Amino acid sequence: MIEARNLVRRFGDVVAVDGVSFTAADGAITGLLGPNGAGKTTTLRMLGTLVRPDAGEVLIDGHPAAADPAAAKARLGVLPEAKGLYPRLTAREHLEYFGRLEGLVGPRLSERVDALLTRLDLLGIADRRAAGFSQGERMKVCVARALVHDPPNVMLDEPTNGLDVMTIRAMRALLAELRAEGRCVIFSSHVMQEVSALCDRIVIVARGRVVAEGSPDEIRRRTGQTSLEEAFVQLIGSAQGLAE
Amino acid sequence: MSGWVVVFRKELTDHARDGRSLRTALVGSLLGPAFCAALFLLMASWANDVKPPRVLVVGGDAAPSLVSFLRRAGADVQPAPADYERLVREGKEPAALVVGPDFAGDFSRGVPAHVRLLNDATNQKQMKSVLKLRRMLERYGQEIGALRLVARGVDPRLAAAVAVDDVDLASSQKRAAQILSMIPLFLMLAAFLGGMYAAIDAMAGERERGSLEPLLLTPARLPELVVGKWLAVVTLGLASLLITAAGFYFALPHLRLEDLGVRASFDLDQAASILLAYLPLLCFSAALQLCLSTFARSFKEAQSFVQILVLAPTLPGMFLMLSPVLPAPWLFVVPFFGQEMLATQIIRGDPASWTSLCLAVGGAVALTVLGLALTARLLRDERIVFGR
Repeated sequence: MIEARNLVRRFGDVVAVDGVSFTAADGAITGLLGPNGAGKTTTLRMLGTLVRPDAGEVLIDGHPAAADPAAAKARLGVLPEAKGLYPRLTAREHLEYFGRLEGLVGPRLSERVDALLTRLDLLGIADRRAAGFSQGERMKVCVARALVHDPPNVMLDEPTNGLDVMTIRAMRALLAELRAEGRCVIFSSHVMQEVSALCDRIVIVARGRVVAEGSPDEIRRRTGQTSLEEAFVQLIGSAQGLAE
Repeated sequence: MSGWVVVFRKELTDHARDGRSLRTALVGSLLGPAFCAALFLLMASWANDVKPPRVLVVGGDAAPSLVSFLRRAGADVQPAPADYERLVREGKEPAALVVGPDFAGDFSRGVPAHVRLLNDATNQKQMKSVLKLRRMLERYGQEIGALRLVARGVDPRLAAAVAVDDVDLASSQKRAAQILSMIPLFLMLAAFLGGMYAAIDAMAGERERGSLEPLLLTPARLPELVVGKWLAVVTLGLASLLITAAGFYFALPHLRLEDLGVRASFDLDQAASILLAYLPLLCFSAALQLCLSTFARSFKEAQSFVQILVLAPTLPGMFLMLSPVLPAPWLFVVPFFGQEMLATQIIRGDPASWTSLCLAVGGAVALTVLGLALTARLLRDERIVFGR
């Protein structure tokens, strides 16, 4: 379970995140939806402990993340905005490297790596170097890398950006599986369809604030709109930065 | 497995697969020894120049005994063409000997018989020949003079009140010593350049390709990440340093330094001492490179920062060359400077004092720790991690 409590973050004079609070439950997918520049990435970075909030706190499974970042990180699997790979390492080596950094060793490490390679359909390219990977293959390796330590909480920043339809479908299936396994899943997107198709709860962020929170049905009902898109436009005041 | 071991192993694997930068590092490491060897061979070829001095003679018929003396002494005597003066002025011929019309008459009357030796004193290349010729001519004059004294019943030794024993301290020796003093500089450059690319790639490259954020999201502690990367940079620098040292070690014995009269050696003991003296420096320069690479906004900026830093090893050398006085002992604590002075002492065969050794090692170690701590500190800064 991931809780954001009144998170505030300023960059100079700009208030990027202005009192964001929400709770992402276990066994559910929580979508962070908002136009570009709404503060989604900064919020996710605060949840991942890489950015310190100016005010407010983050609780990972009930523990304050600021008090023990290493423990929080161990319970979190994060696909950050930066999705770079090492061009001279193979897919398997990427997973092994990050697995070791997460403290996995010996047979447990190789089991986890094999399981993820199989699950994300990466066995065919497991021993090829990342330099030649397609966009979809790169994204899958990044996701596998984030999951290597079997984290109970998973955060993904724009996990379907720039992918082809087949990979998007695979990614959706994976998110559904993660939910079925009882994990807490948060993902951010500016793509309406992604969010409406997958999320149990939606947190709509605009200009650094949470403007609505609830299940897709609740949000539609509250705004009196039949489509989520219309509800979204009504909530944030414009359709700017929103992709179909 | 500790975090730093994991990072260290990954970085080494990663860089070992980067063929292009490995080849560049290898070529760069051997450049120093090759350069020195080429210079030595060139100088040896100058020093071993045994070509007979060549001279154009004008009016040689008037002085047959002089000409035959020159021939016997080993000179290459040629009759002068009409434009001999121009040939000498243009440096095509080393010298021309003009026997005056009064030579034969003066010679038989026993008064100084004049010859003119045309030469170009600014022509360094030909000066050796001219010098040899002048000595031959003087010897001829002395021999004839001695014969004349003997003919008059006088001991010719009376005419030589002072005997000068020439001790040749040719300038080629000095130049050879100067080249030897370049060895520490080349070793230092090797240590510096060997890990340079790895240092840039490990921080600025990591951020630019977007793998720094995932790395920082692991529970691995920052000091461990930094130390792992730093050790990889040190290892590559050390490899490069060893290759360069091996190059010098194998090249110097083949260069016949004795021919140049140079007292210098580079035996295993000295090589080991120099490597030991350089190890702390290697640690420091790796830490400095990592720190700059972390601070830089981009890969390109890191490259230009670190390349400016390459000047650092050459500065102490220049200072040492220009400074008329021995540097103060406390200067050993300055990285690059201290090591270069130590290495120079070792190569000359002077024992390095414990004080200077401790100062040199202590200075570098302290700065290494500082550099690594600063790097870890920078990585805590969001502006560094996510760009400015």
